[in-house]
Amino acid sequence: MDRDLLRQCLTYHGESLFNKLKCEQIENPDFQAVVSDLCKATCESKSDGQDSPLVEQFIARKADILFCPTWKTATHKEEEEEQQEEEEEDAAEPYAIMPPMEIFMEVSYEERRTMLYRDLEKGDILVGRINNIREYGFFLTLLCTAGGLRRDIEDLELSALCHIREVPSTGSHDDPLSYYQIGDFIRAAVKDIDRYQEKITVSLQQAALSPGLEHIKLGVFPREALPIHYSRSLRAAADSRETYECILKSCHGYHNPSVVEYLLEKVGVSDTQPPSMMRGLQSKLFHEEDFASAIRKRQSASWALKCVRAGVDHFKHGRHVEAMNEYNKALDIDTNNVEALVARGALYANKGSIMKAITDFELALENCPDHRNANKYLCQTLVERGKQLEEQEKLVTAEGLYRKALSLDESNPEAQEALHKITETIQVSIRLREEAVAKEQEKATSSQTSAEKLRKILKEEKRMKKKRKRSASSNPSSTASSRDSSPSSSSSSSSSSESSRRRSKKKKKRRKRGSKRHRRISSKESSSRRSEEGKSKKDRKEKEEEVEWYPAPPNTSATFLNQKGGPRFGERDEGEAAENDAEDKRISQLYSLSAASEDEESDSSQTERKRRDGKESRTGERKNSQREERGSRSGERKSSERGREDNGKERRGSDSKRRSSLGENRRRTVSCSSAESAYSRTSHFNPEYSGNSASASKSVESRVRHDAPKRNSFDGGRYENRGREEVEEAKGEKDSRKGEDENVPGSGRKSEGAGNHTRPSSLTSVPEGSVKKDLPTNLLDIFNQIAQFKKGKGGGQRK
Amino acid sequence: MEGPSPSLAVLRDRPVWPAAGRRQSGGEAETDRDMKKHFRVCRFIMETGVKLGMRSVPVATACVLYHRFFQRARLQAYEPYLVAMSCVYLAGKVEEQHTRTRDIINVSHRYFNSGSVTLECDKEFWDLRDSVVQCELLILRQLNFHVSFEHPHKYLLHYLMSVKSLVNRHAWSRTPVAETSWALLRDCYHGAMCIRHTPQHIAIATLHLALDSYGVELPVGDREWWQVLCVDVTKADIDAVISDLLQLYDMEAKCI
Repeated sequence: MDRDLLRQCLTYHGESLFNKLKCEQIENPDFQAVVSDLCKATCESKSDGQDSPLVEQFIARKADILFCPTWKTATHKEEEEEQQEEEEEDAAEPYAIMPPMEIFMEVSYEERRTMLYRDLEKGDILVGRINNIREYGFFLTLLCTAGGLRRDIEDLELSALCHIREVPSTGSHDDPLSYYQIGDFIRAAVKDIDRYQEKITVSLQQAALSPGLEHIKLGVFPREALPIHYSRSLRAAADSRETYECILKSCHGYHNPSVVEYLLEKVGVSDTQPPSMMRGLQSKLFHEEDFASAIRKRQSASWALKCVRAGVDHFKHGRHVEAMNEYNKALDIDTNNVEALVARGALYANKGSIMKAITDFELALENCPDHRNANKYLCQTLVERGKQLEEQEKLVTAEGLYRKALSLDESNPEAQEALHKITETIQVSIRLREEAVAKEQEKATSSQTSAEKLRKILKEEKRMKKKRKRSASSNPSSTASSRDSSPSSSSSSSSSSESSRRRSKKKKKRRKRGSKRHRRISSKESSSRRSEEGKSKKDRKEKEEEVEWYPAPPNTSATFLNQKGGPRFGERDEGEAAENDAEDKRISQLYSLSAASEDEESDSSQTERKRRDGKESRTGERKNSQREERGSRSGERKSSERGREDNGKERRGSDSKRRSSLGENRRRTVSCSSAESAYSRTSHFNPEYSGNSASASKSVESRVRHDAPKRNSFDGGRYENRGREEVEEAKGEKDSRKGEDENVPGSGRKSEGAGNHTRPSSLTSVPEGSVKKDLPTNLLDIFNQIAQFKKGKGGGQRK
Repeated sequence: MEGPSPSLAVLRDRPVWPAAGRRQSGGEAETDRDMKKHFRVCRFIMETGVKLGMRSVPVATACVLYHRFFQRARLQAYEPYLVAMSCVYLAGKVEEQHTRTRDIINVSHRYFNSGSVTLECDKEFWDLRDSVVQCELLILRQLNFHVSFEHPHKYLLHYLMSVKSLVNRHAWSRTPVAETSWALLRDCYHGAMCIRHTPQHIAIATLHLALDSYGVELPVGDREWWQVLCVDVTKADIDAVISDLLQLYDMEAKCI
């Protein structure tokens, strides 16, 4: 019990209250502790006994509440804050700022003066007008208070001295008082109060203000800035009809809708734990779990759980949509309901929305880190996601996910295994990448200029010689397709078996060679052979990129090809022809596909095609063949056998090149196609169309002449002509080579359609003019025609 | 200002509220039993208000709605707790502190069945909710849609601010007059006295009682402080309010 308060109360009420208190609070040990003290206070009582006994009865009964130290919630700190707000309140007026009550109460002059000297404190703000300026300072006639204490002082005839020391000097000027004139409104802080002499001294130094009022600026201010309560008190004093009530209701702040909340805070009363004199309404008696928010939380949780249960039931019966609806409903009811999140996550994972599933599980774990199912599911889902990423070649991210999964569940065997695997894969791929980079660098240097290239070629010549001995002329990857597509060829099966035998041989050699090459690139890459074999898709892609990246100068390649193609021409035997036929089939197939891809302008057909090709052709071979192609160019004037081998290789090379470059680099395609056209002219169609052609002779002229009209329905006549021209060209090789050299870029542009190519020859209005110059274009046309035909045929077969 | 007739018919059909709503004889004095009942229901409103986190003014409005409703209706005619729940709901709307029926039902359910499990959101719950909403309409009609009232809270707080500056600041900060007067004001709403007296009188009376309780002396001029605050208030008015209020405190001992 607050002894001081109780004493104050007893002094006010007197003996009767004391007796009642003793009666009512007899069981209160607190009261018993202070009761002896209070006797004295009661004796000093000045009470006249006019108070209602009922009130005393009430005080006596509720004394334990009224005088309980915890009853008072407002602290001195709040009072200070309140002072701080005073200045802003004047402007915004969140509540009605009323003039001091004593104006209305008409308290006597003496009493007010006494009260003021009693209550005025150092640091309070007073407002006054200068009435006299002396050399030691100036005197103020006080008008009103402006902070700390709100009283009516205007008619109290108070004056205050502001000493010259208390006037802040503005620099080196002689007299700070020269700024002040009689009649100026001055806001000043109380410096000292002499209560006996009734003298007040004020200061203009900011330091003199009490802590809560420091922000208020002291000194001269205009008349408009006088405090609101002062102007209102002037109004009240002037007109006796202006009652307190009138002024209150006319105030702007009185009508503030949140005035109650504002003032409650200001007086320091809590409205969330409201005070009450009723014993049953003491806020401390209420249980936290009985409050609305707590009940709602519990209710929502149980409701949400009900929904989750229904959802799980749906899920078990395969009604996934209903299940999802239930889960979402549960989460609507109770956001972050762990069970609902886990269940929804599981459903997402089931539906393949792995990212959503992971989000749900993670959210669930955030709210309940020990949830067993959430941990388990998240672990599984992370592994799943990791595998997805692995497929997308995002190995590092996948590895991170595996690690995360393991951090959730250390004993998860799946995650352990996956992590183990991926670490290896990453190591391998890093090695491969290094390798690839090195290779690229090598290639970059190797194919920069033709001069350099030539040097390279000379360097490689030696190697190529060796290589050629072992390398088979057939493309192993094509055998399967050739077997399928050309049953008519009697020798195809034998050739294919032969080729497969060769392939294995070749593979070995290639491996050796590859490893050699790698050793040359970087000595530590001794194991690259294995890595080359077990290449990942990504790696493959890289290789393809390399292939694509390699710029094949069309002119040179064409030159080489033609030089080669010519002499080799009539020297081939039947077996080879069969093989070449298979090869050719593939090429034509590719052509058909490429045509399709051109139609679609999509890469998908390309990649599809790539996939259909054997793994070998995809991986090492293409690269190798390309390499060999380069080599074969250098070794153009080799023996016929070697040349033939080269021929096959080169075809493959150009093939792969075509595959890789199709739809991406026309120019390069053209260079290849021109080369291929040369080959096709020389060898390819011979056996297959031997039935069609009048004689099985290997003369190109006849073949071309017979094939072309057959395959080309719309340009027959012209092709015949061109066919003849071709013969001429084949015979006068040198010229044609020259012509081709000139024409390759032009024909390349036209490789898309046969129509384009026919025009120049028929019109003969192209700048080149001469028939000879058109020849390679014609060849290309023919080849395209063949391709189209094949495409049609292939389509028919497929159907 | 009458409510739509269809809903009225619906309401009349419901067994919860028998047709006869009006008090038969207006002059009949409130019996002691009724007062006790109202006291208990108002205690329920107060407690619910605190648990719902409602401010003092909406709770006061709820109580005034309740008392005004039973000023016009017989206590036996309607279920007072249901009316109280609807009053809380309506007061939340009137005073712009919206309270959800679900919370009101939850808290009330827990009040009546303390320690019980929370309500499921099932048919029972929706029935309860329906009755609260229907009863709200009934109250609206019964009060002729006069549902906004002037409360003493605003007056009391302004009076407190004025009286405070009359007192020495240290004496004031030592004495919890604000808390006590606020508590007294809230407690007023336990009985019909809150609608019998004018807001200013209630505010002055509670402040008077609070000052008296602590023996705080205000300067005396030609006029008493309460005369200044409200011109038409007399000492008898204040005493009447205080007497009514003290009666409520007496009743607390009898009822609970």
